[in-house]
Amino acid sequence: MKKGFKLILSVLILVFLIPQFGLAQEKRDFFKVGVVTSLSGELAFGGTVTKRGYDLWADTVNALGGIEIEGKKYKVTLVYADDQSTPATAAVAAERLITQENVDFILGPYASGTTLALAPIAEKYKIPHITGSAESPLIWKRKFKYTFGTIPAVSLIAQASIQTLAKDVTPKPKTVAILGIDDAFSKFAAEAFKMSAEKEGFKVLKYDIVPEGSDYTPQVSAIKALKPDIFAMGSHEKAAIEMIKIAKELKFNPQAFVQHYGMTTPDFRKGLGKDAEFVLGTSVWTPNMKHQATLLFKNPKEYADAFKAKFGDEPEYTNAGSTAAGIAFQEALRMIKAKPPLTQENKDALISALEKLNIMTFYGQVKFAVEGDFYHCNAGLQPVAIQYQGGKLVEVGPGKLQVVAPKFPTPSWDKR
Amino acid sequence: MELFLQTLIDGLLIGGLIIVVGIGFSLCFGVMHIVDFAVGEWVMLGAFTGFLLVSYFGQDPMIYLPVLFIIFFVLGWAIYPLIYRAISGKRHNPVLMGLVFTFGLSILAKGGALSIWGYHIQSITTWLSGKSLALGPITIPALRFSGFLFGILITLLLMFFLYKTKLGITIRATAQDREMASLLGTDVRKVGALVYSLYAGVTGMSGILIGALFSIHAAMGVKYCTLAFFVVVLAGMGYIPGVIIAGLILGLLQSFVGVYVGGRYNLVALFMVMYGVLLITPKGILRRGI
Repeated sequence: MKKGFKLILSVLILVFLIPQFGLAQEKRDFFKVGVVTSLSGELAFGGTVTKRGYDLWADTVNALGGIEIEGKKYKVTLVYADDQSTPATAAVAAERLITQENVDFILGPYASGTTLALAPIAEKYKIPHITGSAESPLIWKRKFKYTFGTIPAVSLIAQASIQTLAKDVTPKPKTVAILGIDDAFSKFAAEAFKMSAEKEGFKVLKYDIVPEGSDYTPQVSAIKALKPDIFAMGSHEKAAIEMIKIAKELKFNPQAFVQHYGMTTPDFRKGLGKDAEFVLGTSVWTPNMKHQATLLFKNPKEYADAFKAKFGDEPEYTNAGSTAAGIAFQEALRMIKAKPPLTQENKDALISALEKLNIMTFYGQVKFAVEGDFYHCNAGLQPVAIQYQGGKLVEVGPGKLQVVAPKFPTPSWDKR
Repeated sequence: MELFLQTLIDGLLIGGLIIVVGIGFSLCFGVMHIVDFAVGEWVMLGAFTGFLLVSYFGQDPMIYLPVLFIIFFVLGWAIYPLIYRAISGKRHNPVLMGLVFTFGLSILAKGGALSIWGYHIQSITTWLSGKSLALGPITIPALRFSGFLFGILITLLLMFFLYKTKLGITIRATAQDREMASLLGTDVRKVGALVYSLYAGVTGMSGILIGALFSIHAAMGVKYCTLAFFVVVLAGMGYIPGVIIAGLILGLLQSFVGVYVGGRYNLVALFMVMYGVLLITPKGILRRGI
């Protein structure tokens, strides 16, 4: 009994002390960056969109020798954790990265639902976290001190395509029907379409939210029966593809198809081929934009070229937003002159630096809001309406942002 | 009225797809008492294999339906000894063992597909894609209609096989009393292998239809697994003819709830019906299940 007690005591001492020694003795000359994103499950496609953005940031920084702090360069190492596309796993993955991997800061998940699960963990362990993808306004309303985001909330940007249809096309459409998927991002995209449509004087004939993974045919049929001028869809990439396929099958011919995120992805274009033509969407970044920067990439074109060379695909705004999240950390670290591994003091200083950050990057301005409903969101970017024309995404509005006139109305399926 | 008729057609066509997925699952459960958690992954693997065949050899995806049946029949035959091992011998709870084993298979298939084919969302197009039949104001999408016919045809063929052939009667005898069939000289292991292979073949084949209608990705199987469970509960576990009625009811339910109540209540309605059936008539709506 006495022997057994001693054994248990020894094990307990080892269990408690070894990690403490580990923490205290950790010395490294590189920044350890935790990345939680969806590498498997339903959102694996989107997770990889963020991963590519984060990887390009880390590889480019490391190719230049690392982040320069007081004359010395420190490389960055990304430590990935798969959230398996579920919020609960995102929280567990973040906790593991923080407590076992001792990461200095976190680059966040693809989806808003997983980000909403991760943010309280970042708060609990007081570790800085920037998402380069999540767009749900719910994240910013919660006012997490340790969470930031480079892409403006969907409620701030989804209106660009609706504004374009209100101001830049003739004859002006009059009615709209909206279908959204029931997740933290997509239903707010649908909500944003509804609010901007009402603001622009469109009559909203139908507004419906459906569960992810449903067969959307009945809803599209119901919308077709109302004969709306505009069919707006709030969704991620898979549903975006499927809704267009269903519309074609049902010979549903509104004057405009409007989406937000999914249509910007290469898989949308590849999956639908010429059926992707005329679909309108919104973006806060395109490779054609004229931002001039001094940090890492000089302009959007340089970024797009580097991205294409590395991955073989055209980048879209979530790739860019993810890379910009890395740049934001990089500049904030320079501001506070913090060296790896970061102490808790450094991490708190990093939060203050991120709040003061105001930089111009290839992605545009990065300046996080420090008050209001979009607390810690990079809310200031100008959204642009985009449309597939001749297999390419072109900027079609609103107003002065127009590079090419929008093609309107969309020809019926049998006349394409 | 137009919307009502269109909703009715949409519901029947959705039901056709549910039948396609549910039929093999019901056969597998009815005969072997295996609740195959990997049912959705057979659909996914079928879709990806179809995609590969189309990418390498061209031609219309529909041509590959028999090829897919053969590929997945052989795959099912190859995997069955492992399942047999998991559910036979001195296991205390063979049904649970089968469930756990196939759950493992499902995870393996999902992970394997992600590693092999990556995260991209793939699409395939058939000559029927985007085509439709117009009946006055009603639109009948051609690909969905062919899926519906496919589901009905497969069910009828399976029923003919099970009720009108000697081998089919042997399979039904094994389903009714495994031990007695064995004592009368039936090789129950071979019967099991045949049934599992048929199930894998039919379900894998349905993948190409589903892939053409929607999109193909490693995680696409999950929803079909749920649908297969719904259809089997409603049909009566293991009662094949019930699958047609159950599939159509589920399709119509989704369609009418989606249009007249609201899309967000679709899953609620499905779950309510499933729980209702389990509480009131656990042997399925026709009271013919196990």
